[in-house]
Amino acid sequence: METDVVVIGGGPAGLAAAAIASQQQVDVTIIERGIELGGILPQCIHNGFGNFIFKKMLTGPEYAQHYIDLVKKQKIHIKIDTTVLKITKDKQIFATNSKEGLFKIKSKSIVLAMGCRERTRSQILLPGSRPAGIYTAGTTQRLINIDGIMPGSKIVILGSGDVGLIMARRFILEGAEVEGVYEILPHPGGLTRNIVQCLEDFDIPLNLCHTVTEIHGKKRVTGVTVAEMDSSNFNPKKGTERFVSCNTLILAVGLIPENELSKQINISMDSNTGGPIVDNNMQTSEDGIFACGNVVHVHDLVDDVTIASELAGKSAAEYVKNQIEESPLKPVYPGKNVIYVVPQHIRCDLRSSITLYLRVKNIMKNAEIKVIENNDIVAQKKERIVKPPEMVKIDISSEVANKIKKAVKVNVEGELL
Amino acid sequence: MDVKKMKDSKIKRKLIKSFKKSGIKNISIKLNENIIFLEGSVDSYEKYVTAGHLAGNYSIIHGVVNNIVYPEKKETERKKGKDKIIASADVVIVGGGITGCSIARELSKYQLKTILIEKDEDVSCGATKANNAMVHSGIGEEPSTLKQKLCVKGHFLFETLSKELNVPYRRCGMLIVITKDSLENLKLPSFLSNLLASYVIPFIILRRGKKIKVPLEKISRKKILEIEPQLTNRTITGISSPTYGVTSPYEFCIALAENAVENGVDLRLNTEVVGIDLEENRIKSVITNEGKINTRWLINASGVNADEIAEMANDRFYTVHPRKGSTLLFDKSDAGFISHNLSFFQFPMKRHTKGGGAMVTTHGNIQWGPTAIEISEKGDLSVSKDEIDGIFDKYSRLLPNFNKKAIIAYFAGIRSPTFTEDFIIEASKKIKGFIHVAGIQSPGIAASPAIAKMVADILKKEGLDLADNPRFNPTRKKHLVIRDLDFDERKKAVAKNPLYGRIICRCEEATEGEIVNAIHSNIPANNIDAIKRRTRAGMGRCQAGFCLPRVAKILSRETGKPIEEILKNSKESQLFIGKSKCLLEEIDGN
Repeated sequence: METDVVVIGGGPAGLAAAAIASQQQVDVTIIERGIELGGILPQCIHNGFGNFIFKKMLTGPEYAQHYIDLVKKQKIHIKIDTTVLKITKDKQIFATNSKEGLFKIKSKSIVLAMGCRERTRSQILLPGSRPAGIYTAGTTQRLINIDGIMPGSKIVILGSGDVGLIMARRFILEGAEVEGVYEILPHPGGLTRNIVQCLEDFDIPLNLCHTVTEIHGKKRVTGVTVAEMDSSNFNPKKGTERFVSCNTLILAVGLIPENELSKQINISMDSNTGGPIVDNNMQTSEDGIFACGNVVHVHDLVDDVTIASELAGKSAAEYVKNQIEESPLKPVYPGKNVIYVVPQHIRCDLRSSITLYLRVKNIMKNAEIKVIENNDIVAQKKERIVKPPEMVKIDISSEVANKIKKAVKVNVEGELL
Repeated sequence: MDVKKMKDSKIKRKLIKSFKKSGIKNISIKLNENIIFLEGSVDSYEKYVTAGHLAGNYSIIHGVVNNIVYPEKKETERKKGKDKIIASADVVIVGGGITGCSIARELSKYQLKTILIEKDEDVSCGATKANNAMVHSGIGEEPSTLKQKLCVKGHFLFETLSKELNVPYRRCGMLIVITKDSLENLKLPSFLSNLLASYVIPFIILRRGKKIKVPLEKISRKKILEIEPQLTNRTITGISSPTYGVTSPYEFCIALAENAVENGVDLRLNTEVVGIDLEENRIKSVITNEGKINTRWLINASGVNADEIAEMANDRFYTVHPRKGSTLLFDKSDAGFISHNLSFFQFPMKRHTKGGGAMVTTHGNIQWGPTAIEISEKGDLSVSKDEIDGIFDKYSRLLPNFNKKAIIAYFAGIRSPTFTEDFIIEASKKIKGFIHVAGIQSPGIAASPAIAKMVADILKKEGLDLADNPRFNPTRKKHLVIRDLDFDERKKAVAKNPLYGRIICRCEEATEGEIVNAIHSNIPANNIDAIKRRTRAGMGRCQAGFCLPRVAKILSRETGKPIEEILKNSKESQLFIGKSKCLLEEIDGN
């Protein structure tokens, strides 16, 4: 089988990329390993999606359905329940499902949109036993909202990432007891609106500077030890350990872009994002291979995923139609108080404005985001407050961007909190 | 003084003295036919272990029964037995770990009715599943012990056995690495330390190898860094033990059990021994929670519980002291980082452990460990922060550039040593028909084929008639492993069964077809971990985050069990409490 664009992943990123690519009159195939389109959205039954794009609060399934409908209206080949096993540099895709068995697709372009996975208990080196009842937050969200299965009744949540906060509320609504949310850092990991709507509104205690130091229980979780963190050495404070009885430990301790396929063909990766290095067309270091969504960097709002993915889809179609010319790349580096900036490269021949997405290291008040070349400010923007969980964006017009000579770095300056 | 000539009273006197040195007082020591019985009380578990080891140190001593009371000591609760007779057999084997399953498979070569009983939901549930997978050559064992002898013999059998059983095995060899840090604890001047490290230690190890006829070779710094370029540049020299290998311990154990079952062995899971009936000092029957099984021959391969089973047979002459080993497992993406088993030579060595190693499993995961920690509780499988930190520290010194962030899991297993720290494999001197296979610790996996043969020999010597089973088939039917197939084979497999095309575990590429096969195999996998051991579903980098709900639903569908009864690995390890809204119904109901 041959096609123009293969989109790997049918979540919000893949759907947006496919829909736009297809509108450019190229042949598009979506391959999704799950049994339905929409990725993580169908299990996100709470609202809060689409505020930016649709100017209203949609639920996850509603947001997803908009793009599913868009894709289904077009002549896009959709393969669900299908797993990509291997991709090659010459853009062959090997995939498997129970209908067609093992098959090969030769494509002119590939869009990587595999999303991310959750960090596990081992990746945060959480000691103790290994009983039943330890779950990542997203797994319990799927269990309850899609499968209709209740994983536990007495809950402790470690980590205050968005999914963890959403699940704290969800467990309460299901009649479970949520003992508390524990966050190792002095500030929450999730969006402020989720702290308010999911914890405060339901009287769920948020314990900042606290962590779980041990898991107890042989067959099923019987409890956890929690302790306060010593901010000076990042170790649990002696004497603050406390046993908390529970039958379920939920982990919301971060997400990892799922780039096993990207690594198969040695795409250049950014160690700060965990995703491929991309240019402003969302093209990776491999010609004709694009990436978008959480596979590039973990987003906090799906609207941003959609916007970046539409760009990737458009670029993939243009690549197929030979409309993308070779262009030298100008690197964008993270500077002061910045963990990463995406895209990591800007092309020299911009015809429209671009958006830089960045994540800050520390909370800052009255912050100034500055794009700097040597000592010259190329672009700048003010923000009342910047926080690590909330992505910061800065737009640069094509005229300004095209004036950049070699490379820029992005600094965020302001009052540290 | 030659300890063998020491009289009992002399041993006692010496022992009291060494107890005193270790701060252990008021212990009564009884010595009878080279068995030491210790009684009294100590104020810590550590002292309890020290006392046992001091007593077990005399080579003349055959066993140590350590009844010393320590603070956290608990009485074991025993299940109730049932009186009805549920079966009769020629031989009953207690314990479905690597030892019991090896013996079962060996005995299936003969015309016997053999029953293998296992208290857990699956075979391979104890120390076996947490073993670090090395097939030792015997060079690390204490000279002239039974465990060394059986290890040397056993490890040479692995190539053939693995082929027969269709399980992965790789003879990757072992490098004992001597670095500038190997002798740091001796605090010697550097020239002396260098001399020891470069010449004396290799010489001693090579001589040991010659004695047990295990091939060894000294390797220069240049060569060792050539074959393992990621080793620390503080490496001085190394010894290669090329017959060292790596197996997949749980798959090996399951394969042995499956082949035993194919050849007529009756495996009974969820069956726990609670007592033993004797008749005129001979085994009459074994009492389990399911009922009685009449048998005249009973093989005690119950690992960490071996002393308790021996007690039931009225012939307890050893105490098992659980020793935990924790291992760290890393993502497959770093598989090529090393190619041999690597052992970090450190002197003085910690006693009773070879110190573990760094290695690549048969599935391409790098593993570091295990630790060796004496614990008071036989079921304590927790991994402590100190263990994790300790393993990281130790092996980072051997492989400084390794990406430790690629860790995906850690797990612990419990070794079952006795205080004499050697295997105890013999017919009971008191109870006819009772065979001890106790104290099996490392290198239990490597030795297992030889242990099984030794047990068969003992049975024969004791008078059991071993007539060849003409229908014995040494080849265990291989389960289809889709990820191992090439493109065309895979296409054919999916054409036959579409479920081979549907990936359930994305990290390990386990298909629904393989999961269904495992659930319906001749030893049915009826919980999540049993499926994991057979198909690798859930063993990868996401640690079942994505596939757990799917595997649970498949298991529920295939067995007809409601979802809330699906277990992780053992009774009472329910994964879910019910359908969603179940808690709200409770509230409404009230």
